[in-house]
Amino acid sequence: MPAGKPRPRWWFVITPRWLAWHAFAVLAAWGMLWLGDWQFHRAEGGNALSWAYTFEWPVFTIFGVVFWAKTIVDEWRSPGGAVSSPGGPTLATSGLAADPQLPAAAHTPATSDVFDEADDPELAAYNSYLAGLSIGQQHGRFAGGPPGGTQPTAG
Amino acid sequence: MRSSDALKLAVRAYRLMAYVTGSMLVLLVFVCVPLRYLGHDAGPAQVVGAAHGVLYIIYLVVAFAMTRLVRMKTASVGTIIVLLAGILPVLTFVVERWVTRTYIAPALAAGGPAASEQPVLR
Repeated sequence: MPAGKPRPRWWFVITPRWLAWHAFAVLAAWGMLWLGDWQFHRAEGGNALSWAYTFEWPVFTIFGVVFWAKTIVDEWRSPGGAVSSPGGPTLATSGLAADPQLPAAAHTPATSDVFDEADDPELAAYNSYLAGLSIGQQHGRFAGGPPGGTQPTAG
Repeated sequence: MRSSDALKLAVRAYRLMAYVTGSMLVLLVFVCVPLRYLGHDAGPAQVVGAAHGVLYIIYLVVAFAMTRLVRMKTASVGTIIVLLAGILPVLTFVVERWVTRTYIAPALAAGGPAASEQPVLR
């Protein structure tokens, strides 16, 4: 593609993989509500245990919607990884490196300017901690991280 | 509460719910469902099925909290497998071991006060 203006940060939301994810979320939510409605009619028809499912399905639906929203919020906050620190692999992303990530946004790994560390002291502290870890990692050893050399393989 | 305490609590709650929910599902699928269709007794399947539904709601909340505290990526296959494990027979037990090895042990080693060079891997 032509190297024009950099895309806005929210752009990942409309990449094909994320659009598929949104479609799946809508379908799943609709399906779960439909199942809840079906159980409600069964409950009205005299199946007493269906009352439990009448309430369970909406709860699942709410959880699904919250989960879907969290995926977007997390991707917005740290594109491409669980927690990224400026420069170098992080504790979390090194564990996830082999993990086939579902809606992998078409983003380059995070750089320092992506974070709003100013309004989140905990995140800033954790990032500086991770930066320290990755410096230690480059020198071959550091205490307290995953064992050196044995990258956990996901899946 | 320190963050490492929150992590330990979340891991403990997740393990408890993984085993309770998983056991209930094994009971449902391998005992109650055969009883329903071979023994023609629908009672146990209905009761255990409803109980598993309630337990799975708790499992979802607890497991999701755990995935966030060990900093698994939300939109990842790993997280979704952890959440869905509660409705697939036997999978909670397998997934619990995998998550412990891949995420929980490194997170505990990094966040715990007594950070050791070699986290215990199973």
